[in-house]
Order: sequence, then structure tokens, then C-alpha cells
Amino acid sequence: VNRFLISFCHLQLIPLFIFIGGGAGMSMAYLARLGLRNPDVCWDRKNNPEPWNKLGPTDQYKFYTVNMDYSKLKKDRPDF
Amino acid sequence: MAHPTQLGFQDAASPVMEELLHFHDHALMIVFMISTLVLYIIVAMVTTKLTNKYILDSQEIEIIWTVLPALILILIALPSLRILYLMDEINDPHLTIKAIGHQWYWSYEYTDYEELGFDSYMIPTQDLASGQFRLLDTDHRMVVPIESPIRMLISAEDVLHSWAVPSLGVKMDAVPGRLNQAAFIASRPGVFYGQCSEICGANHSFMPIVVEAVPLEHFEKWSSLMLEDA
Repeated sequence: VNRFLISFCHLQLIPLFIFIGGGAGMSMAYLARLGLRNPDVCWDRKNNPEPWNKLGPTDQYKFYTVNMDYSKLKKDRPDF
Repeated sequence: MAHPTQLGFQDAASPVMEELLHFHDHALMIVFMISTLVLYIIVAMVTTKLTNKYILDSQEIEIIWTVLPALILILIALPSLRILYLMDEINDPHLTIKAIGHQWYWSYEYTDYEELGFDSYMIPTQDLASGQFRLLDTDHRMVVPIESPIRMLISAEDVLHSWAVPSLGVKMDAVPGRLNQAAFIASRPGVFYGQCSEICGANHSFMPIVVEAVPLEHFEKWSSLMLEDA
């Protein structure tokens, strides 16, 4: 059974799968995040035609913040 | 400004530029190490008397030279992404200045409180006073207060230009019909030079940018004087 498993699974290729799978997975996940969460993207022209006009002052739209505490921001613009 | 035969970056005058400098040092050190290793291996390969014609595979070295480059790339990517996101943050600016590119000068507008606007032409070489820098100094400088986040809104009147000040770590294209936003904090007082960074015609090399960072009281005095003159 062991010999069969080894010849079938090609254990030496597992690191390759880890790295390539991880890289591809992370890129696809970021692309999906951009497609679905980015306010510049419009999927539903009837019900949500311009999502970039509905931004809140305390929401975080970027993937990662270094120094920015979005919960402290206030909205100082007139309503659209 | 850059001095003659300068190869590296100018001294940083803003926190973002400091980060960029340190990241560049980090990446360059990695690059030097890799290049030295490769050069050593090349020399060793070329000068060795050992030859073995029957090496078929070796798992250990294959693992090492797959995992190590992956690790190095991650070590480069993580600080790089961190700085990328840091540069995009605009934390509550104290002042908004508009820089508008024309052929072939910049105009600056400080319209937060009063309507202050002026043009900034390069000083022609024959009109230079002693101590001024050729092709870099302008008649009016863009004065900003130190240690205040400044928001720059950059646009152009006619063709593409680009507003760049290397020591502040800022470069943003000036596109006609479009408003681009950039931000910086001048950490120390000083005079910082930059040049137009997008080809815009005959005098593209002759429309520099000069930013003068001064303490807040001096900035207030300067803006009152400029408003009176206008």
C-alpha cells in the first residue's frame, strides 16, 4: 500500500503544490476581494449603480492599513 | 537637491521618503548578496579542476534553491506592500494646496481660507543671483508649514506634466481634466527641489518645483505677505 501511495502521490511534488497552490490561491483571493469589495466596481446596474458614491467615513476599503485608524474619522462633507 | 555625481537618493524630508530609503537599502542589500553569490559561483565553476559527469539529481540542494528564493521574495514583498499601503493613507491633512501644471510653469493655489494663488517660473540662467541653483530655482516657492500633513491636488491646464519632489517622496502626474491627490509631511524645515517629470514640450526641463518648509508662524507671515502683494 505504501509503495502504491508514494508512486501515486509523487511525494516529492508536494512542496511544489504548496507553493504554487498558495500563490495562486492568494492571488485569486485578492482578485476576488477586489471584484466584490472594491467600491469602484459596479455589478448591479439596476439596484446599485454607483457604489463609489456610498462610501462611509469610517469604513476601510483597503486591504491593509499601517497607520490609519478609520474608526476615528468623521464625515465632514455634505451628503450627496 | 542632488549634488553632482550623486548616485543614491537625496536625504529624506518626509516620513514616507525615509521608509522608501530604508526599503531601498533592504532590497539593495539582498540584491548585492545574491549577485555576490552568483559571481562567486561563476568564478568557482570556471576555475575548478573538478568535473563529475554523472550527477543526476540531488534533493537537498534543489529544496534549498527553491525555498530560499521564495523566502527572499516574501522578505522583499512584505515591506514593499506595507509602504505601498502607507503611501495611500491620507491622515487628516492640515492644508490643501493645488499645483497646476502649465506650459511651462507651475501655479499654486492655497484656497483653504483665502484665495491665494501665484505662478512659479524657473529663474533664467542669466538672471540668477549668486547662490541660486541653475535650472532649479524659481521666482516663487511653494511654502508649507513643517510637520503638518499636506494634501496636494495636482492637475494640468494643457498637456501632461508631473509634480515631483524626490526628497519628499512625492511624484504625481498632472493630467488635464483630472485631479490627482498626493500627500506628504515635511518633517524638517528646508528647501526641497524637484523637476517636472512628464515630457510636456520644449521647456519640459525648465519648469522646476521648489518647496520651502518653514515653521507655522513663518508660513502664516508668508501667506499674509503674499495675499497683500496679490
